[in-house]
Amino acid sequence: MIMRKAAILALAAGLAAILWGLAARQMLPSGWPSLPFDASAMSLQQILIAFGMMPRGMIALVAGAALGLSGALLQAVLRNPVADPTTLGISSGAQLALVMATIFAPGLLEVGRWPVALVGAGLAAGLVIAIGARRAFAPVTMVIAGMLVGLTTSAIATAITLSRGEYLLSLVIWNGGSLVQQDWSGVLSLTAVLIVGAIGAALLARPLRVLSLGAAGASALGLNVAGVRLAVILLAVLLAGAVSAELGLIGFVGLAAPALARSMGARSMGQVLALAPLIGALILSVCDGVVLTLAGATGEMFPTGALTGLIGGPLLIWLLPRLRGSTPPGTETAEGIAPRLAHPVTFLIVFGLAGLALAGLLAWIGRVPHGWAVLDWDSFNAFLPLRLPRIVAAAAVGALLAMAGAILQRLTANPLASPEVLGVSGGAAIGYALTLFATGTPIPALQMLGTMLGGAMALALVAAYARRRDMPAERVLLAGISVSAMAAAVLSAIMATGSAQSWQVLAWLSGSSSTVGWWQAASLGGLAVLVLVLARMAARWLQILPLGPEVSLGLGLPLDRARVGLIALAGVATGAATVLVGPVSFVGLMAPHLSRRIGFARAQDHIAGSALIGAILMIAADFGARMAGFPYELPLGLFASLLGAPWLLWLMMRMRR
Amino acid sequence: MTDPLFTISGLCVDVPGRRLLDRLDLNLPRGQVVALIGHNGSGKSTLLKVLARQVQASGGQVGFLGRALTDWLPRDYSRALAFMPQTTPPAEGMTVRELVALGRYPWHGALGRFGAADHAAVAAALEECAITPLADRLVDTLSGGERQRAWLAMMVAQEAGALLLDEPISALDIAHQVEVLSLVRRMCHEQDRSAIVVLHEVNMAARFCDHVVALKAGRIAMQGTPRELMTPEALQRIYGLPMQVLLREDGGRVAVPA
Repeated sequence: MIMRKAAILALAAGLAAILWGLAARQMLPSGWPSLPFDASAMSLQQILIAFGMMPRGMIALVAGAALGLSGALLQAVLRNPVADPTTLGISSGAQLALVMATIFAPGLLEVGRWPVALVGAGLAAGLVIAIGARRAFAPVTMVIAGMLVGLTTSAIATAITLSRGEYLLSLVIWNGGSLVQQDWSGVLSLTAVLIVGAIGAALLARPLRVLSLGAAGASALGLNVAGVRLAVILLAVLLAGAVSAELGLIGFVGLAAPALARSMGARSMGQVLALAPLIGALILSVCDGVVLTLAGATGEMFPTGALTGLIGGPLLIWLLPRLRGSTPPGTETAEGIAPRLAHPVTFLIVFGLAGLALAGLLAWIGRVPHGWAVLDWDSFNAFLPLRLPRIVAAAAVGALLAMAGAILQRLTANPLASPEVLGVSGGAAIGYALTLFATGTPIPALQMLGTMLGGAMALALVAAYARRRDMPAERVLLAGISVSAMAAAVLSAIMATGSAQSWQVLAWLSGSSSTVGWWQAASLGGLAVLVLVLARMAARWLQILPLGPEVSLGLGLPLDRARVGLIALAGVATGAATVLVGPVSFVGLMAPHLSRRIGFARAQDHIAGSALIGAILMIAADFGARMAGFPYELPLGLFASLLGAPWLLWLMMRMRR
Repeated sequence: MTDPLFTISGLCVDVPGRRLLDRLDLNLPRGQVVALIGHNGSGKSTLLKVLARQVQASGGQVGFLGRALTDWLPRDYSRALAFMPQTTPPAEGMTVRELVALGRYPWHGALGRFGAADHAAVAAALEECAITPLADRLVDTLSGGERQRAWLAMMVAQEAGALLLDEPISALDIAHQVEVLSLVRRMCHEQDRSAIVVLHEVNMAARFCDHVVALKAGRIAMQGTPRELMTPEALQRIYGLPMQVLLREDGGRVAVPA
C-alpha cells in the first residue's frame, strides 16, 4: 500500500520533470547552460532557459508547496475539509488590492507587490473568518461566505479593470495565474516564505492537533485557542498572499493537496502538513508542464491558474459526498426572531403601489447637463418608449433574482443561499463566452440561447446532487460553487487572450440594461409573473422544506421531485436574469432577507414580498446606474453589486448564532 | 392479539464497515405504546427510521398493516403514520397553528384546498394537545415542553393511526418529560392509536409504555411487558450493567444501577 503511494508520487514527479524537459528541449538547440549562470557568456536560448524556464520549473514547485501548506493549515484550523485560499476569498482579496493599487496608487507598488497583496489577502481572510466566527466556523457556511466575499471583490476588480481596461492587460494575465518568470528573484523570495511557513507549521503541528478536538475541548486542555488560531491563519495568509503577489490567482491547489494527502492515508496532523506541500508542488508542476506542452503545440499561452481552476471544480464536486455532516444544527438560524406582519397582504399591496410609483417617478426625472430636471409632458412622451422597457426589464430581473433567492433560502434553510452560488450564472457565463468565440458575432437570439444552455447545464449538475436524499440541501450549494469556480477559471483564460471578444465578455459580466428592447422586457416580465405563479403554487412545499428532510418525508412530501423542481425554477429565473445583468448582483440575497425582516413570514407572502422588494431595488439600481456617472452609464449589474456588497457584509457581521 | 402494526423479518441495515441492525425478526403490536430501548448505538433509532421510511433497509422485509413498506405510496403512508425526528428543527417565523396545519399536507397535497375537514382536524389536534391558547404564538417563543406538544399536535392533525417518536423527551426537564409521555399515552389509549417511542430512560419506559422492545448491538435483547423488563436479570442483559430493582409502595418498580 505504502509502496503504491510512493510509486504514484514518483510517477507524478517523473511526469512533471518530463513535461518540463520536453518544453525546455524545444527551445534548446545549443546545449544546456553551465553553472554558474552568467548571462554574458550564454546564447539567447541559454539565457531563456536559465532565467525563464528553470526558475519557472522551480517556482511551480515552490508555489505549489506553499499553497498546499496554506490549504492544509486552513483546513486544520477551521476543521473544514473544503477550506483553501480560493474558497475563503483570500486570493481574490489580494487580487483586488493589487488592481486598486495599480490604478489609484501605483507608488505603493514601487516597494513590490508583496505588502499590497498581503494586506488585501489579510483583510479578506479577516472578513470571512469574522463572519465564520459568528457561526461556529460551520464548514459549508464558511465556504459560502468566502465565495461571496470572493465574488464581491472580483466584481469590484472587474469593474475597475473594465473602466481602465486598456492599461491593465498585464493585470488580467496576472489574474489568471501565469507562471512566466524573468529571473530567479521570485523563486528566492517564495522559497524564503516557504521556509518560514514550514518552520511555523512544524511548531504549530501539536497545538493544531489539540485544536482538532474543537475550541471548547482544546481550551479545557490549556490551549490558547485564539492565539493558535490567529497564528495559523496569519501563516496561511502569508503563504497564500505571497503566491498571489508573485504569480496571481492559482486556485484550488490548496484544496486539492491536503485532500489527496488524506486520501493517500495521511491521518495525523503532522503527516498531512508534511505531505500536502509535496503533493501541492507536484500538482502545480504537472499543471504547468501541461500548459507548457499545450503552448508548444498550439502557440497559445494559457495562464496556469486557469488550468488548476479547471481541475479544482471537479475535485470539489468529487469531495462533496465525502464531507461529513459537519454543520452543527441550529447554527444557521438568523438574527433573533424576525417580526411577523399581522396583515401581510395589505403590505404587499402597499409595496406594489410603491414600486409602481417609484418606476413612474424615476422615468420622469433625470439629469441634464446642468443639474436635475423633471421632464415636461412632451419630452416625457418622447423618452418613455426608451426608458420604459429598461425599467420593466430591471424590475423583472430584480423580481426573478429575488424569487430565486427566496426559493433557495427556504429550500436549504440557509440564509446565505443565493442565486450567485447556484452556479447557474457561472454556467451561463461560460455559455455566453463559448457562443461568442464559436460564432464570432452571433445574433442576439443565438447568444441568448447559448447563455441559457450554459446555465441549464450547470443547473442539471446541481440538480443531480439535489436528487440525492442523503445530501443535506445546503451542500448542494457547494456543487454550484464548484461550477462557479470552473467558470471563473475558463473566463480568466479567455481574458488572458486579450482579444476583442474577451472585452465583450468582460462588459457582459458587469451587466447592462442599456440595450433592452420591448421584446426582451416583455419576455422577462412574463417570465417573472410565471415564476411567481409557480412559486406560489409550491408555497406548501416551501413552508415545509425549511423544517428539514426528516419532517418533509414524514409528511409524505415528494422530496426528490420538490428539490429538483424548485432548483430548476430558481435556475431558470437566475439564468434569464443573468442574460441582462450578468452573474453577480446580490439582489437575490438582499431581497429575501429584507422581505423576512419586514415580517413576511409565510412562504407565499415571503416569495411575493421578495419579488416586489427585488423589483424596487433593481429599479433604483437602474436609475443609479443611469445617473451616477452621467452622461455615461455604469453597468447595471455592477452598480447593484456595489450597492449590495456592503449591505451583505453588514448583514453577515450582525447575524448572530 | 389482533393483527400486528409492523411485521419485521430478517431486517438488516448496513452502513459502510458496520451492521446497524442484524437479521431482526419482530412483530410490533397495535393500539399500544411501545418503547424501543437499548444502549447507545444499539440500533433503536435506526429501527425507528426504517419504520418511518427515512432509512432504507439493506435486507429483509418490513410490513405495515399487512402491506410491504415499499408498496405504500408516500402520501398514503403519511396518512397512516406520523414521524417526529429526534431534534425538531426551528420553525422560523411559524405560528403554532401553521405548524399544526402542516400536518394536513398528506391530505390536501401541494395544491388541494384547505377545506373544512382540514380546519376541523387542526382545531381538534390543538384541543387534544391542550395548546389551543397558544395557537397564535410563534413556535420559536414556546418552552421546550410546549414546543414538543405543538409537534405532537401536528402529528395528531395528520390523523395517522401510528405515531413514531424518536427520543421525544431527551431535551426536557423531568416535569415536561412526564407531561409529554402522559399525553402520548392518553392519545393512544383514548383514540385507539399506536405509538412507537425511542426512549433512553428505562424507568420512563416502564411507567408509560405497554410493551417494551430492547435492542442490543442490532439484535433483540428482550421484549415483553414492563413487568418483565424490570428484573435485574433482564436489565443486566440489556445494558451490561448490574441493576437493582426497587419496589415502590404502590407496586411500581424503579431500576437503579446496583
